Amino acid sequence: METILKKERLSEWVAQIGARATVFAPAFADGIWNFCAVAADTKVEFDHGNTVRPAKGFVFPQREVLYRFRQESGKAPELMETLPAAAPTVVFGVRPCDGRAMVRNDKVFTCGFNDPYYQARRDQVVFVGLACSEPPSQNCFCLSVGGSPHSEDGLDVLMTELDGRYHVKAITAKGREIVEGAAALLDKAQAADGKAAAKAHADADKHPQRALATMEKVAAGLKEHFDSPKWDELARACIGCGACTYLCPSCHCFDINDEITSNVPLTGERVRTWDNCQFPDFTMHSSGHNPRHDTGARLRQRVSHKLLYFVENHNIQQCTGCGRCISHCPVGIDIVRVATEVSGQ
Amino acid sequence: MNANVYLPALARIAGIEEETRGARAIKTFRIEFPEGGGFDHECGQCAMLSLFGKGEVMISIASAPAVKEYKQFSIMKSGRVTTALHDLDVGDVIGIRGPYGNQFPLDQWKGRNLIFVGGGVGLAPIWPVIQTAVANADDFGSITVFYGARSSSDIMYKADFEELARKAIVQLSVDGAEDGWKGYTGFVPANLMDKAPSPDNAIAITCGPPIMIKFVIQNLQKLGFADEQIYTTIENKMKCGVGKCGRCNVGKDYVCVKGPVYSWAELKTLPQEY
Repeated sequence: METILKKERLSEWVAQIGARATVFAPAFADGIWNFCAVAADTKVEFDHGNTVRPAKGFVFPQREVLYRFRQESGKAPELMETLPAAAPTVVFGVRPCDGRAMVRNDKVFTCGFNDPYYQARRDQVVFVGLACSEPPSQNCFCLSVGGSPHSEDGLDVLMTELDGRYHVKAITAKGREIVEGAAALLDKAQAADGKAAAKAHADADKHPQRALATMEKVAAGLKEHFDSPKWDELARACIGCGACTYLCPSCHCFDINDEITSNVPLTGERVRTWDNCQFPDFTMHSSGHNPRHDTGARLRQRVSHKLLYFVENHNIQQCTGCGRCISHCPVGIDIVRVATEVSGQ
Repeated sequence: MNANVYLPALARIAGIEEETRGARAIKTFRIEFPEGGGFDHECGQCAMLSLFGKGEVMISIASAPAVKEYKQFSIMKSGRVTTALHDLDVGDVIGIRGPYGNQFPLDQWKGRNLIFVGGGVGLAPIWPVIQTAVANADDFGSITVFYGARSSSDIMYKADFEELARKAIVQLSVDGAEDGWKGYTGFVPANLMDKAPSPDNAIAITCGPPIMIKFVIQNLQKLGFADEQIYTTIENKMKCGVGKCGRCNVGKDYVCVKGPVYSWAELKTLPQEY
């Protein structure tokens, strides 16, 4: 379903959706672009490149209470499940790399054992994508990892900026619902609009990006060079801050811990939080044995998870080429360079 | 199992056996589910035990699948949760979810000689296999159990070994010399070489500290065991148990789902990072 929205009516559309859902859109706050809740009567414009934080937090929050527990002294504990409450949410301005990351997150959280917390959020969040007319960052490499500046994967709606208007394409049933619900604002797209969107997409593909060898070549190279001394060399500057994975749209590793609010009676929450493969204690056994005992092994895990292990398990790369881990690494570790150098491509 | 994979069932500690003492003491906990609760498991599988306010810990199920009335877990006092578990008493209620992981392919081993090689608390994961094999001894050839501990006071399942010795060949060892010790003195891999079991029609199953497993596998190869004849079970730090939290992987495999049981033929194809 393809429609046209005049740019000056974007805020009206957002306000209309905001009457029955919480709407988020990229906003510049505290010095960075991030998804922020849109207050009523806010003028919404898409001036962002890409947000610093990815969209994954909407389906996999940084901190999530799995359940609460309460135990009177000498008695059995009681558990109270805390699945996410219904909270319709629509997120505007999601870049296609973050959309494609959702497809990867779906594989992690819904294949095999279904994760009910992720599923509940995924079912009720609508991702409205915004195609990139030019690479938002100098570290973009979506084209090298099977994506594109206008990929629809994982998005419910894809908007493409044209002269004075947006081409708005509903992709999923959730997407059609918000487009059909705004029939008064959105005009049916004409053949010329479709052609203009196709041209915008083709033009976007022509912008130069960072380049990585093919999925097969990189995976084979990483597998062959697992024991390469380059891992240690390339990780030497790593300070283990974990910015690379916290800001990654498809990094899903988490920790589970108990947070106590009262000792008598014992009351607390079992909490899931984002965790990080770049931290030494991520894999450390209580015996002190650590399978990934240095920064080289931990960099190898991050890069190999994205570009080798995920390929072996799902036949797609986990990395979607947003470039955040490169742009925000305080010491300049660069996944494109690392994968290229180690894999010998 | 609960529809919410993270939500444990509640179960009662019905018995506690003190296996070894000291800073790294081992206790065996017998866990009973309320009427109609619980789950079945296979040899080699694990369960996530919960102590509310402390956290969760993944422990291999040490009782045989045929035992339905309870499950046993032999736990070394090591980290936050295991230390707190050691302070519990009979009657206390903990959380449990599972079972997790794959299993030892006992069905494929019928007619074979079974050689078990355990070290320290690493006997627990292979104990249900030993119990099941001994209980179905007619299905298998000879059954040999190598087991070693730091000292004779660190040997777990002492009472069970007396009974086991009537049904299987038992080869015990301690790491250092001790007055009056009748078994082998030295590390487990050395005891294995000393007794040199034949690889003919045999399957070897080993579990222990990572360094012991490494040398046991090397020595089994020296004795002529093929990669397909060697099995081990590996442990890694785990939080979710369902292949999502991302820390227990060895290469592409999440050990909590694809493992913990591997033949050496399978394990050697993965990155040697465990």
